[in-house]
Amino acid sequence: MKGGGWGRWAAAGALALLVAFAVFPFAWALVASVTPEAELFEGGGGWPRRLTGDHYRALFTERDFWVPIRNSLVVAGATTAFCVAVGSLAAYALARLRFRGKAAILGFVLAVTMFPQISIVSPLFLLLRELRLINTYPGLVLPYLTFAMPLTVWLLVGYFRQIPPDLEEAARIDGATRWQTFTRVVLPLAVPGLATTAILTFIYCWNEFLFALSFTLGPERHTVPVAIALFRGQYQVPWGEVLAASLVATAPVAAVVLAFQRRIVQGLTSGAVKG
Amino acid sequence: MADPRSDDLRAERRFAWTLVAPALATILLVAVFPLGWTVWESLHRNDLRMPWLGKPFVGLGNYAEILADGRFRGALGHTALFTALTVSLEMVLGLFLALAMNRAFRGRGVVRAAILVPWAIPTVVAALLWRFLFDSEAGIVNAVLVGVGAVDEPPVWFINAATAWVPVVLADVWKTTPFVALLLLAGLQSIPTELYEAAAVDGAGRWWQLRHITLPLLRPALLVALIFRTLDAFRVFDLIYVLTGGGPGTSTEPVALYTFNALFQNLRFGYGAALSVIVFGITFALALLYIRGLGVSLSGEER
Amino acid sequence: MRSGICLAAPEGMPVPVPRTRTALPARRLLSGVLALLLAACGGGGADGRVEIKISGSALGKEGEVLVRQIARFERTHPGIRVEIQRTPDDATQRHQLYVQWLNARVGTPDILQLDVVWTPEFAAAGWILPLDRFRPDRADFFPASLQANTWRDTLYALPWFMDVGMLYWRTDLLPAPPRTLDELLLLARRGRAGTGAPSRGIVWQGARYEGLVTVFLEYLGGFGGRILTPDARVAVDSPEGVRALTFMRDQVLRHGIAPREVLTWHEEETRFAFQNGTAVFMRNWPYAVALLNDPAESRVAGRFAVAPMPAGSGGRPTATLGGAQLAVNAWSRHPEAAYRLIAFLTAPEQMLERAAVVGQYPARRSVYADPRLQRSLPVPVAQVRAIVEAATPRPVTPIYTQLSEVLQIHLHRALVGQAAPEAALRDAAREMERIIESTGIRRPAARG
Repeated sequence: MKGGGWGRWAAAGALALLVAFAVFPFAWALVASVTPEAELFEGGGGWPRRLTGDHYRALFTERDFWVPIRNSLVVAGATTAFCVAVGSLAAYALARLRFRGKAAILGFVLAVTMFPQISIVSPLFLLLRELRLINTYPGLVLPYLTFAMPLTVWLLVGYFRQIPPDLEEAARIDGATRWQTFTRVVLPLAVPGLATTAILTFIYCWNEFLFALSFTLGPERHTVPVAIALFRGQYQVPWGEVLAASLVATAPVAAVVLAFQRRIVQGLTSGAVKG
Repeated sequence: MADPRSDDLRAERRFAWTLVAPALATILLVAVFPLGWTVWESLHRNDLRMPWLGKPFVGLGNYAEILADGRFRGALGHTALFTALTVSLEMVLGLFLALAMNRAFRGRGVVRAAILVPWAIPTVVAALLWRFLFDSEAGIVNAVLVGVGAVDEPPVWFINAATAWVPVVLADVWKTTPFVALLLLAGLQSIPTELYEAAAVDGAGRWWQLRHITLPLLRPALLVALIFRTLDAFRVFDLIYVLTGGGPGTSTEPVALYTFNALFQNLRFGYGAALSVIVFGITFALALLYIRGLGVSLSGEER
Repeated sequence: MRSGICLAAPEGMPVPVPRTRTALPARRLLSGVLALLLAACGGGGADGRVEIKISGSALGKEGEVLVRQIARFERTHPGIRVEIQRTPDDATQRHQLYVQWLNARVGTPDILQLDVVWTPEFAAAGWILPLDRFRPDRADFFPASLQANTWRDTLYALPWFMDVGMLYWRTDLLPAPPRTLDELLLLARRGRAGTGAPSRGIVWQGARYEGLVTVFLEYLGGFGGRILTPDARVAVDSPEGVRALTFMRDQVLRHGIAPREVLTWHEEETRFAFQNGTAVFMRNWPYAVALLNDPAESRVAGRFAVAPMPAGSGGRPTATLGGAQLAVNAWSRHPEAAYRLIAFLTAPEQMLERAAVVGQYPARRSVYADPRLQRSLPVPVAQVRAIVEAATPRPVTPIYTQLSEVLQIHLHRALVGQAAPEAALRDAAREMERIIESTGIRRPAARG
């Protein structure tokens, strides 16, 4: 294409540097997570003299790290399922059907995605406390809907708009009801979009911290981010285990993102929702 | 009366509302109703640790107290500083990254994958990774600084307000620049190539093209990215909670963290609610800006 | 996994309001209904036993004693199963965790180990149950520690063990402990003289945390001052207060007998310094005695003794009262069983065992008459009893945490030289007054 000569090399070099900047913390964490605890504190740098799986073993035997993983899976999974099911209905209407107030609703949904979580955390706490839902799964799913629902709707509107309208019109002319058109024609076409939206919603829920920190009380209900953030050693940060846990928490997300990167980028930039 | 077209329209409207209702009700219930509650709460004194005080209505008393609250002003300053530093760095780096990625080259997929992963991981994890890099004993940053002889004594980054900001800002730049870059890249790809070709025929240089074609046409994308990042940076919580805990003292404490502490450490729910409302007010003002900015691209897609 | 509809129903009932005594019959009825409901759906655990949880220090020797005593309790109370719920040993962290739990109204842990200054706060917030309904035997406990656990004439927690601030001194360097604060300065200097002598005169807890207030309180009492008057007016900015804070600051900044580092130190750092033989005096709690006498770890084993903190002119020797209390969570589903465990753990036998194994001082007077106590304590019992008997509680108020936080900040500012003692205490007093004013604890209505 355009350009050439040294400019291209400079750009390539700079890009390589940036990629290194992006990858380095992971690489370093990976090395540290297999380094024995004593060597870690001898001062940073250098390849470990001996590799160890102790930190990973301790994670699942001593710290019961599968408990926060299970909690995160349940909460993020339930939230995502509910949001995609309910959100797809609304998104279809907002993308396709003609009715007054549509633009206002869209603007409203977008505005809600901008809500700072901190501004609703106190009434949610009081509400959940009254309902005896603090430290329970529903007590996390409910708050998660505050950001997941508008996010899902917003993303799905983008996908539904991309589906060509001709097929629906054809189905209607063939005598299908609106509901049949939606379930039999539109939804099957929207599966890739629904899947991408589900992935993104799931990631947002998986990563959420403030609500999980505020509405859970103990390790039996902590989600992965809260569990990692509250890791404590008796005298110092147990870096080996913290980093092992960080990588375990990151690996599934990274795998999914890499597998679906093209779609995710598309969804992100068309929806342009929060980073 | 029996105009089939208007009947059809009415049916479509009813169908649309049926579909929208559950999601809309959910959002109203879990987000808007609590927000109203926060506002109402902010007009009361409600110290959960002091039930003997009851819950008296204090009008704007909490807001008056906030105005005189030095820790709040400090927190606001920290938030502004963090926002200004990270957003400007991210915009510049993100633009550069987007321009570089816009060229066709081998390994573009690798680059995109490499920068996408930091964006996707939990902020808590990103914060921990950077805290580890800057750890005074085990961290590699100190090892390198001492190794190359830049410093004699390895610095303890987190006990000094000025140095504690370094890992905080770097971690945020590391995590969110990819998002900016991808947004801008999408913007770049929507600029027709013919414009550049025509300019090249006219003998315009690369720099001229950047200034007179790329940047003006990228303006909507730049604006969206800018406001998005500003909003997000303004709400910063996870990153600082994990990296510095707001310390040393309260010298890196942002407003969201101060609000959280007022609520859950001191159990001052009225005062905390007033703080929440202020955070919301500022974000809302920024969000309005955003929606107006985005309005441009929205109307383009609207049928 | 517990939970489910069965538990949700009784838990959804109106929360107990422990302060209103008229509500007691209703409460009893409620807990009766509750117990029935729970029994109906097996809330008592798989084997039909009531399960209660206790939270407290469970590390090292403290943990050993607790486990042993709980095992004995379970043998004599076959209907109750006890589980230890681990909590951080750092007081600030534990406090924060308790606040989070109790504010969220969870029923576990059923029994809470409280610091002495937390009881009024938790009682006033309605987070712990009044113990009067269980008719505890009060007569035997030290009055000061009972008073610290009393809020509005109602007892909310039973003292478990007592902590008192003491002066550790080196018997190999000095012939006798100081009797006045002036002597303390003199001896600290003398003890440092000579080759191989410690480089530090005195070490204490000077970091910005609760420990600093406990140290300050001892100098304050030594000069005849106090933090609050009985009618809840701030008195810390009195001339006595200024003298006490000036004395502490001068130890660091003028005489150099206390190292600057103490301004970042907690209990353990001071113990390490004294244990390594680098200090003539140390202010600390009783727990250090056993550790310092361990020759494997300590270089001063057998070469130190404890004494009361000396007083200056116009004051009296003062030891800050600390220690642990046991209280019942207001949302506990088994308050009766919980209280039974508290009564067991605070019985003389258990206190004696605790003193023998951990070296913590019993909170009952009768135990001091038991000859077995002398065998387990390395310090003369009469001396311990004298210090404990005279121990000074910190202000008994539900807003203690907030007041202390303000005081810590200003004390520390004066100690590092950022403010003159007089100005620092004046600022502290003003802010503390404002907190007291705004929380209405002085109003008679609130005291009744």
